[in-house]
Amino acid sequence: MSHDRTKQLLHAYADRQIGAMRRFFLGRHVARCPSCLAELEAIQAMSAALRTNLPAHRASPALAMRIAAALPREAAPSVRRKRFVWPGFAGAAMAGGLAGVALTLVVSGVRPGPDSLVGDVVADHVRSMMAEHLTDVATSDQHTVKPWLSARLPFSPVVKDFAAEGYPLVGGRLDYVDGRPAAALVYRRDRHVINLFVFVSKQGGDSAPGQESRDGFQVVRWRMGGLSYVAVSDVEGSQLMGFVRLVENG
Amino acid sequence: MLALANDTRNRRFELLAMPHLDAAFRLARWLTGNTADAEDVVQDAYLRAFRYLDTFRGDNFRVWLLTIVRHSFLDWLKDNRSGQRIFQPAPVDMEWTDPNPNAEAMLLDRVDSETLGRLVGQLPAEYREVLILREIEDLSYKDIAVVTGIPAGTVMSRLSRARLALRKAWMSNEKRS
Repeated sequence: MSHDRTKQLLHAYADRQIGAMRRFFLGRHVARCPSCLAELEAIQAMSAALRTNLPAHRASPALAMRIAAALPREAAPSVRRKRFVWPGFAGAAMAGGLAGVALTLVVSGVRPGPDSLVGDVVADHVRSMMAEHLTDVATSDQHTVKPWLSARLPFSPVVKDFAAEGYPLVGGRLDYVDGRPAAALVYRRDRHVINLFVFVSKQGGDSAPGQESRDGFQVVRWRMGGLSYVAVSDVEGSQLMGFVRLVENG
Repeated sequence: MLALANDTRNRRFELLAMPHLDAAFRLARWLTGNTADAEDVVQDAYLRAFRYLDTFRGDNFRVWLLTIVRHSFLDWLKDNRSGQRIFQPAPVDMEWTDPNPNAEAMLLDRVDSETLGRLVGQLPAEYREVLILREIEDLSYKDIAVVTGIPAGTVMSRLSRARLALRKAWMSNEKRS
């Protein structure tokens, strides 16, 4: 292949966007032509620089929530707003196997009935760990987490660090449970993550903690002072109940 | 019944569209140059994609979605920056000159992330989009042609000019510093 023609096609060659035949003849020329080889290397160096070094922008969870809130109104203005469950903020970050788990959870989470909330929060919990988006505000300082959440929610959640009891606070983030904005407080128990979702209760009255398991996760729900609490984790049931007692007693 | 139909539709959309939220945001972010505008563009694109979901026939939802993101960006441009031409034509001296690559160009892979981001951000949008679609989204020339609406045959020359422009920007940045 001629030098001029090769020069024109070098980008397609570097990008592997030409057929095998042309690729062969082009490669043969490049191997013998220092100028084409240098150009090819420059293209590849830039490509590598962009791929590894360009600032990585990611969609914020707030954007996902914004879209979630806007979509149903687009679809059916007259229909009551539906619960929305997202398969994940960071699709690209989801490895195949994990993605399968999440999608299963999501699908099981959207079936109607009183228990659907449990599926929801379990999916939220899984997603929070997969999407590398555990916290919007990452700090063990309860005096930072609480005002941050209070400024963004229609209520003011109680935020306490239980590090002394073996449940250190990791941070907090905004989430969406049962169609309502929720505070997600993130704790750790050893190497396990506990997500505590707090949102305005639909039903009135307090209720005692009720425990159930779903898809390998423990879920404890209760109502207190007009707020609904749901704790989700893969820690052992008794450990999660221990955490719930701490939260209850403040 | 309507609620049920919408529910199915919503679920289909979630499964198809939400895994590509980062890709949509990245393209919008590089096109608009800032997060707030990028989020507006992406939200608009997602609402459109939802509305026209039934017209999606292809096998690559990401390409379809990115095409819509780009359309939303162009509309956003019309509404917000009337008179300002973001899609500037390339300066004449960037047309197919022989760049004669040298050691400086090779050093590009050592440029720090912030500088690289700034240099890319200062390129004409028509260059930025092909670079992002190729290097970050890893789209084929055929798919880049679909997203940008330029003929498949001109994707390569657009890309080569974009790379040359970035190389020149980098070299003059080096000289300054």
